[in-house]
Amino acid sequence: MSITNLLENWSDFRQQHPSDDRPHREYKWAMSIDLDACTGCNACSVACYAENNLPVVGKEKFLHGHSHHWIRIERYWANDGREFADQGAQFLPMLCQHCESAPCETVCPVGATNHTADGLNSQVYNRCVGSRYCNANCPYKARYFNWYDYPTTDNVWPEPMNQQLNPDVTVRGKGVMEKCTFCVQRLTVAKSNARSEGRSVLDGEVQTACQQVCPTGAISFGNLVDPLAKVGKQWMTQQVDLNKDKQAKDVAEEAAKLRGYRILEELRTYPSVMYLEQLREGSI
Amino acid sequence: MGKDIREDIAWAQINKDVLKSLESPRRMYWIILFIAIAMIGVAVGSEIYQYQTGMGVSNKNNSHVWGLYIATFIFWIGMSHSGTLLSAILHLMHADWRKPIYRFAEAMTTFSLMTAGLFVLVHLGRLWMVYYVMPYPNERWVWPNFQSPLVWDMFAIATYLSSSVLFLYVGMIPDLAICRDNIRAGWRKKLYTVMSLGWEGTDRQWRNFRITYLTIACFLIPLAVSVHSIVASDFAMSNMPGWHVTSFPPYFVAGALYSGCAAIITLFIILRYVFKFEEYMTLPIMKKLVRLTFAIAMVWTYLNLIEFASVWYGHDQTAKDQLIFKATGPYAPFFWAMIFFGSILPLMLAFKRFQTHLPILFVVSILLNVGMWLERWMIIAPSFAHGHYPWTWDHDQWPSLVQWGIVFGSFGWFTLLFMVFCKVFPSVSMYEVKEMVYHRSLALKHKPAVKGEY
Amino acid sequence: MIENSFNRRDFLKVLGWGGATVALSGCGNTSVEDGREFVTSYVQTADYIIPSIGTYFNSTCAQCDAGCGIMGRVREGRVLKLEGNPKSPTSVGKMCGLGQAGVQAHYNPDRIREPLLRNGDKGEAITWEKALALINEKIGGVKAENIAFLTGGVSGHVKVLLKNYLDALGSGHHYVYEAVAPSIMRAANKKAYGVEMPRLRLDKAKVILSFGADFLGAWVSPVHFSQQYARFRKADNGKRGVLVQVESKMTLTGANADRWLAIRPGTEGILALGLINALSTAGLSVSGDVVAVVKEYTTDRVSKDTGVSAEHIAKLAALLKERSPSLIIAGSAAEGYAHGSQNAAAIALLNQVLGNVGKTVEGSSGIPFPQMAPTTGNRQALQALNDNMAQDKVKVLFSYGSNPVFTAPASMKLKENLKKVPFKVAFAHYMDETAVEADLVLPLNSALEDWGTVMPEYVADGAQLSIRQPLMEKLHPGTLGMGDILLALLKQRRPNEYKGYEDFYSYLRNAMVSNKGALGGADADDNTFWDAALSHGMVKLAGSPVNISSHVSVNGLVVPAPFAEDSAYPLHLIPAVSASLRDGRNANEPWLQESPDPLTTIVWDSWVEMHPKTAAKLGIVEGDIVEVASKSGAIKAQVYVFTGIHPDVISVPLGYGHEAMGRYAKGVGVNAFKILDPIFDKETGELAMHETRVKVSKAGQRVIIVKDEGPAGGQQMGRKIAVRMSSDKVNLSKEV
Repeated sequence: MSITNLLENWSDFRQQHPSDDRPHREYKWAMSIDLDACTGCNACSVACYAENNLPVVGKEKFLHGHSHHWIRIERYWANDGREFADQGAQFLPMLCQHCESAPCETVCPVGATNHTADGLNSQVYNRCVGSRYCNANCPYKARYFNWYDYPTTDNVWPEPMNQQLNPDVTVRGKGVMEKCTFCVQRLTVAKSNARSEGRSVLDGEVQTACQQVCPTGAISFGNLVDPLAKVGKQWMTQQVDLNKDKQAKDVAEEAAKLRGYRILEELRTYPSVMYLEQLREGSI
Repeated sequence: MGKDIREDIAWAQINKDVLKSLESPRRMYWIILFIAIAMIGVAVGSEIYQYQTGMGVSNKNNSHVWGLYIATFIFWIGMSHSGTLLSAILHLMHADWRKPIYRFAEAMTTFSLMTAGLFVLVHLGRLWMVYYVMPYPNERWVWPNFQSPLVWDMFAIATYLSSSVLFLYVGMIPDLAICRDNIRAGWRKKLYTVMSLGWEGTDRQWRNFRITYLTIACFLIPLAVSVHSIVASDFAMSNMPGWHVTSFPPYFVAGALYSGCAAIITLFIILRYVFKFEEYMTLPIMKKLVRLTFAIAMVWTYLNLIEFASVWYGHDQTAKDQLIFKATGPYAPFFWAMIFFGSILPLMLAFKRFQTHLPILFVVSILLNVGMWLERWMIIAPSFAHGHYPWTWDHDQWPSLVQWGIVFGSFGWFTLLFMVFCKVFPSVSMYEVKEMVYHRSLALKHKPAVKGEY
Repeated sequence: MIENSFNRRDFLKVLGWGGATVALSGCGNTSVEDGREFVTSYVQTADYIIPSIGTYFNSTCAQCDAGCGIMGRVREGRVLKLEGNPKSPTSVGKMCGLGQAGVQAHYNPDRIREPLLRNGDKGEAITWEKALALINEKIGGVKAENIAFLTGGVSGHVKVLLKNYLDALGSGHHYVYEAVAPSIMRAANKKAYGVEMPRLRLDKAKVILSFGADFLGAWVSPVHFSQQYARFRKADNGKRGVLVQVESKMTLTGANADRWLAIRPGTEGILALGLINALSTAGLSVSGDVVAVVKEYTTDRVSKDTGVSAEHIAKLAALLKERSPSLIIAGSAAEGYAHGSQNAAAIALLNQVLGNVGKTVEGSSGIPFPQMAPTTGNRQALQALNDNMAQDKVKVLFSYGSNPVFTAPASMKLKENLKKVPFKVAFAHYMDETAVEADLVLPLNSALEDWGTVMPEYVADGAQLSIRQPLMEKLHPGTLGMGDILLALLKQRRPNEYKGYEDFYSYLRNAMVSNKGALGGADADDNTFWDAALSHGMVKLAGSPVNISSHVSVNGLVVPAPFAEDSAYPLHLIPAVSASLRDGRNANEPWLQESPDPLTTIVWDSWVEMHPKTAAKLGIVEGDIVEVASKSGAIKAQVYVFTGIHPDVISVPLGYGHEAMGRYAKGVGVNAFKILDPIFDKETGELAMHETRVKVSKAGQRVIIVKDEGPAGGQQMGRKIAVRMSSDKVNLSKEV
């Protein structure tokens, strides 16, 4: 334990941009969300509250923007000035994008948010000092700060509601940042089970809470390294490359057939969540 | 133009005049001191409430994660730059008119840094874990993230603060010896005795003193520039539209010098009036100071325009949207107030009749700092209100009384420190004024053969 | 997931320990709960219980009437989270947000924990023995015809026991009331297809034309329909189905439509007939008598009457003709008028003309045990009860599974009439508006700690009996299951018949096991059958399929002309059924209150939806508090302006505005049920929910609406966030 260690292992203390020389070896968790299947029903959001011990903050705090929905459904209109929203809404589930080159990771003064070997953007609650720089630098604003001490706030988890809390997930106190973890508690169990059997986690063996609940199956989640994983096949079909900031769709004209894209990709965050464009019939 | 200082002031008179400022304070002093402490009380109360309840009471939220604390933090860091400018830069440039006023400017540097540091603490969600930011050896190999501008900040501010304190102290040693020799007994005697480090004014002491002082001055100048550049990096290194601007470091440094100079004008007038320092803090010096401020104001305006122009003519639509939002949205009154106080109002300083008109200067200098504070706030709040992601825009979130209370209290804290300083230490450098008087009288005796040479 | 083979005794042992731990940690030093047979520690426990590893038990969701199969994750004796039961044909492993919140109904801090007897304005805790004796005493004192039982929809063994109890009392007054139910649709379907609830095959349809049926949000069986919808949108062959939604107020389903057509309220039938006319003009073979009726519905006239542009009518007709089979669905929006039945008939006729019946509208499965078949509720029943109460014909009233004081329109004066009933018993989870009025309140087990069987009304795949089993030990010792209470009451009346059953569990097990032949367990021994049933969470029933044919007659099919202008009450009020709050019974579950409404993103309050044109006309902006006044009353709420609503219409969500119930529901929003006018569907006599006309005036205040949406108001400001493209540019069959 010395400064020498720090210097010798400097590369481990540095955040790396995605590079082909350091590929993910066993796991790279990724997601794809089909916006044509998403109906905006909010089931994923409620499931996330149930799985991840998210506090219900109440009306007044919601008004002040203190809500905690790790996955939120955004609803956009594309009326173009027409009298009615006659092509419906565009729903978009927004969660932490687990960027490969995450802007939040580089700025945290204490290294509380890190990239794991599995390609997750992790948040270490114990280490967080609450500078909130990560949120300031998150272009998706998918990070949520504990503005109050919810475990001790009235009517957040009154007896016996606290018995519902998931023991696998920390209940966060005031002053720490939190966000979607891709249900890391489930991933850990699945990985541990697989390891004890000497194999990797199979596709479909582990689901995130939002994916599991989604009635239309709009969310796929899995291991991009696994050639059999559905999510990997989706990324492949859509020609979305994890380590590129411009995809086939953005350059080629015939790529109109592709509908996979990543949000605010031009900021070079290299997100792990791919969205599939919503479709609308032209003949009506 | 009049003389910066009379050449015929007796040295004993200088000692007497300055030491008079250390005498027992009058009633007014105590009243102001009490008000300052009351202001600190407001801040401490607010902080205790916030500490106990959570950061939510400051009315920040997931869109506005930073607020007045960071804005005011930059403001105080900025204030600290003027002291270094006057004492170090002008020292190296042999601009001797700085001599009567640099001491309190230097003190101002130190105290505003001490104030700024507190804002870092107040801002943190988990204040009790602040030591995580420091690179202390530990068994688990957990280091701070050296890529984070906030860690650079921590280093820069700590270094700057310690260097400033050292600079202030070293520069004060001959004066402390004067105090020691002129005071008979009591705690002051003990304090000055210890602090003057056995100064006797021998040649060797003077030679070492000069070298030390010069070395620290040289060290301090790049430091001062880098500190505010690093604070600017907090913003420029992020990807927030409106922050992600290359010209931020010089812009911040210019803004810092600007607000610092304005603050020096304010304090100059106050000290001149309170301690009757008319002999030392003369109007010609004020005139030079005002001209300096005017020049810096124009540099700041220029850099401001550069920032706007680079956003406007760049192809980053997001940043452009945000600039338009600043100028037209709910923050527009504050934005235009900033432009007025920061760029229009200082034009007054170009006119000779205002350059020595103390009441007007007093008001203007305060307004300039209001403008500079608004500038910092305009960097923070509208950027958060209107960032990359339209869904999370928030144009309605305003700081709560808790935030205002702490900002308010910080001025009390600064005032308290400054007032205590003025009564304990000589706020005008006696030995340097003597030097100045001596040099001027020498210059008077031996008119230089060539202009510009003593 | 661990395969669930276990026996009940082990199950209770483990759960008993869980309950004991809870009790110990909660109260310091209480003894282990009385009456438990065993407490087994984790040192010696069933194989499948591993501390810190969740075990899953199957059950049936009770949050709405769809009856989805669920799977509860139980750890250390506590249920933590619900998932869909992958083996349930209704949910297939999926769930909705409402269902997820079932754990909050269970752990709710505002649940009633012991029987309460009215003493002045207060409830006094009494014992169950005393409570049951009191019921016996009160019943003994009145004539059988003066006893009334008001329930929500019931099915399964509780229904059987309830029927037996009513028989034992000699009372025939069982009122089945549902505040929000597709009653008019049931009647119309019965008339058109011979069954109340045909199976809708969204997945087989190439085009779905929905007249205000919010099948993705709150209509009939949304989780099931959502899954079918996913296959409809992305069929195995890569073809993408087209959804067109016609309604006056956008629903969640409307928000997902390829084309959302705003229609003048009540003119849905006209559009349906107009489409038939357009189709027949375009060459679709339509029988002569139909043509005779519809020929006057020319596109121009229909367009004028409905406000749907001629272009869209033509395109829609072309689409329906081109892509077959299609599916036409009549939802509550089309049926909520005095001529709702006619609208529904016209829409059914469109289905018939397009030849969809038998293809995308299928017969449901017959139910071998009619005594357990669901009894669905309607609003007529409440009307009848209310009339009887007004005439002092009700002396003892039992209320279970409905909250009429909350859901009845003010014009019914139900609360006043209720006061005329001398003895009112409410079986309740919360002190809701009806329980507050009751003389005796009996606390019920939550759905996650109760035994029962459920037969959902909408059957996804063959008949089945869904089983509800406790996922954990009772939280509060003072509550009882409805089955247990009915059994206890029956023991008072028919002791000989029921004395053999210790509790409802033993009754249920016996009833199931003794019928195992019909329940698909003919070859298994009793325990194996029972364990398998619990493990699956349901048993399949061998129901004979019901074939359906369409025989919509055009005789008497008259769809009235559009509503005339009403200058006093110029706007139509649409009481919107939201996917999370429905009729308000789940309003005390905070996840649902904080889950933003999908379209407006508003939380924790009611709102009035309004079109920008209407708002401009009235000088109203977002956040203005307005008074919405009908002939029957007025409410005040904040205005939300958006373009998903017809300018002649305003909409207020239901389920808000509780005056009692609990900390999360009370005082949140306003109750739109209250101002509904007493106008009824002419054929069925059901309350016409969409018939109420209102006027809107500013109340002076303005608030900031609490919603997730920011000041950008659903605009992306040129940033590429949610992207949409034309479906013909994509080849879905190439996708994974």
